[in-house]
Amino acid sequence: MRARIGESILRLWTESGARSLFIVGTGKNVGKTVAMRAIYGACMQEGITCALTSIGRDGEAADIGDAAPKPRLWLEPATVIATAASVLPHSPASELLALTPYQTAAGPLVYARVRDGAFYELIGPPHASNLRRVVRDLCALAPRTLVDGAVDRIAALAGGEDAIVVSCGAGAARTMSEAIDGVRALIVRLRTTRFNGGEARRIEGALTPAIVAQLLREGETRAVVVRDPTQIALGGKAALHAFDRLTIRCERPLKVIAVTVASIGADGAFEPRSFAHDVARATGLPVFDVYAAEYAA
Amino acid sequence: MNAAGLLDGISAQAIGFAWLRDAVAPAGVYGDAQFGAIVPFVPGQEDEARERAARICRVASVLEPSSLDEVRDVARNVPDASAAVARASMGDPLDDVALLELQRFFDACERLDALTIHCDDLPRTLGEPVRICARILEAGRAGQLGFYLDERFDASLGSSRETLARAQAEYESARGRASAAVAAALDREISLPEFIVMRGDLRGPVPAGVRVVRETPTYLLCELDADDAVLAALRRRDEAAVAVAGAEALVRERLSGVIRANATALDAAMRAFGEVDVLAAAARFTQQHRCTVARLEPSATLVLDSARFLPLEVELQREGRACTPIDLDLAGVAVLTGPNMGGKSAALRTCGFAAVCAAFGLPVPAQRARLGLFADIAWLGIGSDAERDGSLLSSFAREVVQLRDVLARDARPRLVLIDEFARTTTPREGKALVVAAIERLRELGACGLVATHLGGVAEAAGTRHFAVRGLRGILKAPPDEDLGRALETLAASMDYTLEEVSGDRVREADAIALASLLGIDARVIDAAYRAMEPE
Repeated sequence: MRARIGESILRLWTESGARSLFIVGTGKNVGKTVAMRAIYGACMQEGITCALTSIGRDGEAADIGDAAPKPRLWLEPATVIATAASVLPHSPASELLALTPYQTAAGPLVYARVRDGAFYELIGPPHASNLRRVVRDLCALAPRTLVDGAVDRIAALAGGEDAIVVSCGAGAARTMSEAIDGVRALIVRLRTTRFNGGEARRIEGALTPAIVAQLLREGETRAVVVRDPTQIALGGKAALHAFDRLTIRCERPLKVIAVTVASIGADGAFEPRSFAHDVARATGLPVFDVYAAEYAA
Repeated sequence: MNAAGLLDGISAQAIGFAWLRDAVAPAGVYGDAQFGAIVPFVPGQEDEARERAARICRVASVLEPSSLDEVRDVARNVPDASAAVARASMGDPLDDVALLELQRFFDACERLDALTIHCDDLPRTLGEPVRICARILEAGRAGQLGFYLDERFDASLGSSRETLARAQAEYESARGRASAAVAAALDREISLPEFIVMRGDLRGPVPAGVRVVRETPTYLLCELDADDAVLAALRRRDEAAVAVAGAEALVRERLSGVIRANATALDAAMRAFGEVDVLAAAARFTQQHRCTVARLEPSATLVLDSARFLPLEVELQREGRACTPIDLDLAGVAVLTGPNMGGKSAALRTCGFAAVCAAFGLPVPAQRARLGLFADIAWLGIGSDAERDGSLLSSFAREVVQLRDVLARDARPRLVLIDEFARTTTPREGKALVVAAIERLRELGACGLVATHLGGVAEAAGTRHFAVRGLRGILKAPPDEDLGRALETLAASMDYTLEEVSGDRVREADAIALASLLGIDARVIDAAYRAMEPE
């Protein structure tokens, strides 16, 4: 079904009531930045001022890891960003809003406002606790905040009231079923439901594979309760296995609102419509193909 | 604050030098730069050291604690603009972040000078050259904490940016038209430079204005192809961007030139800022710990009135307990005796701590103090094991090696604090060694305090003898054998003050009573008392 992807996700974001939205990918090159641009573009069209940052590095012309070309971020005037001072474009000048005490991989972080449209690179703080403070600051500077996240840094979601969009694609898997299993495991984990009372076994700290194995050995039938889904340190099949056999619940659920798919990878491609359709069926969430501008379910 | 030359590592640890360094550490980057270079005053600099301590005390008396805390807040939050000044002075044009750092520094200088205006002992940071630099950056102030290369710096910025905005709008319009045409031909949204076209959706060839960048069996990955109108608009946009970059570079060059011309004054302002930070930290320390200016003499003396060892006092305060100050009048070498846990080590540390404070020109935690400016402060004995070197030396051998090194150092006057040296060898030989060490230290003109449980040392060495007054009564073990309560009982029963005793009157160490208090089996205690009875 044809759809205006950015607008559709923006609508879901608005309905979630969250001020900030994290885009979390199942891996590298799965269309996170493309999804971010689509949502950002929709905000601009609606006249909503946005603040943007990332966990680590994003928006550079080429992937630092594999030198593959990456989509760049063209930002419109009034957009607020949190990025490393060293990667701000020299010209046109940005309005510097504040120096911060936070460090990024490329030096100190600054808050800036775009005055004339230009391509920007986002390098945010790499640590979850600092990122949460940055997001709080950005929410005070703009009505909406978009964060380019990372699957290995979901700890940054802890303690927040963010909406979450998960991106998956051919870039992070060899086969379509592998990609679907990966995104399903991540979604199952992030959408851990709220504990609503009853008998429970509370887990302080991370719910690791070793703890899950022990709980299964003990035949645990009570709800296994973690503080929030970021404490569930399980991925892939281990996560699916654990959720199938245990009643895993959390005290502070996260708000996953949609999935984006990118059927194009550097080394291969999936058939776009069946990929989007299967991801929708596996996750039960609205799925958007940002390249095909289609809504799958 | 660098104690090398005054204290070796073991002595620094025993005397609490790291604690002191942390307690007087400045809050910000400019203070840090100066703090690392602070070294102890040396004998002959008594007046300078005393003047520094007196200056700190004057600052502490003129400025309220809240004002000093605010000074430290300002110092803590100021960015380091020294690199910006250095770059400008070498002819580098500064970027906007560097200009913002400078503006924040100027703001901090203004705030700092306002906070310390009534204190003549602190330098001013804002001279006329700094004001000139601050004024010229004022046009870039954006909000309370921000900076922007605003049109107010130069009208050409405004005009070139307007041209760029127009060119950008024209480019977007041209591109939008091309994009809309493709979207209409494909009947889909085109919002990204790259997009997928399903082969099954194509009713004929790929429309004009679309470039295929990758083909798969089921779809094509495409890009918008720029037509002549888009390319021309893009060219105009790029030219306008170059013009903006040129105008901005000229303004940055001009601002950097002003910074370059005033670099010497700015460096001086940063040094003054650092000095205020360092002195404010020391003044706050003085207020918090009720310190006083010591009288410094060119002699090996140490006279303390109600002196406290601050690391211990702070720890006790945390537990809701009070620290007992000590009085001591020491010239030359003396012996200190007293019961176990009676505060002999704390007394030695109090002496060392006061001497280190004085050496760095800091007020001393005492009601009154008169002491020499020591060239060397050494600690021997208990506590020396802290720096084990992994060698095969025994405790005794390590102590002897340390004593050898201390005696070999050529430093006058020196303060030597010895805590139960030679306690791990036979009492007879231990005593002989301690007596011999005291005699050698006396020959070297040292000031020293030698704590020991060995009897007859003071008399044999012919020194003065101080003793901890000790237990006021008979200790009773708390019924529940709780260690914390036992220590409270001990503290309540112990008089930690020192008295000078005549001859070689050595009190018992109250060791058996203490062992009983700490919960040793009553049968063991009884047996110990029986063993003490004369045969």
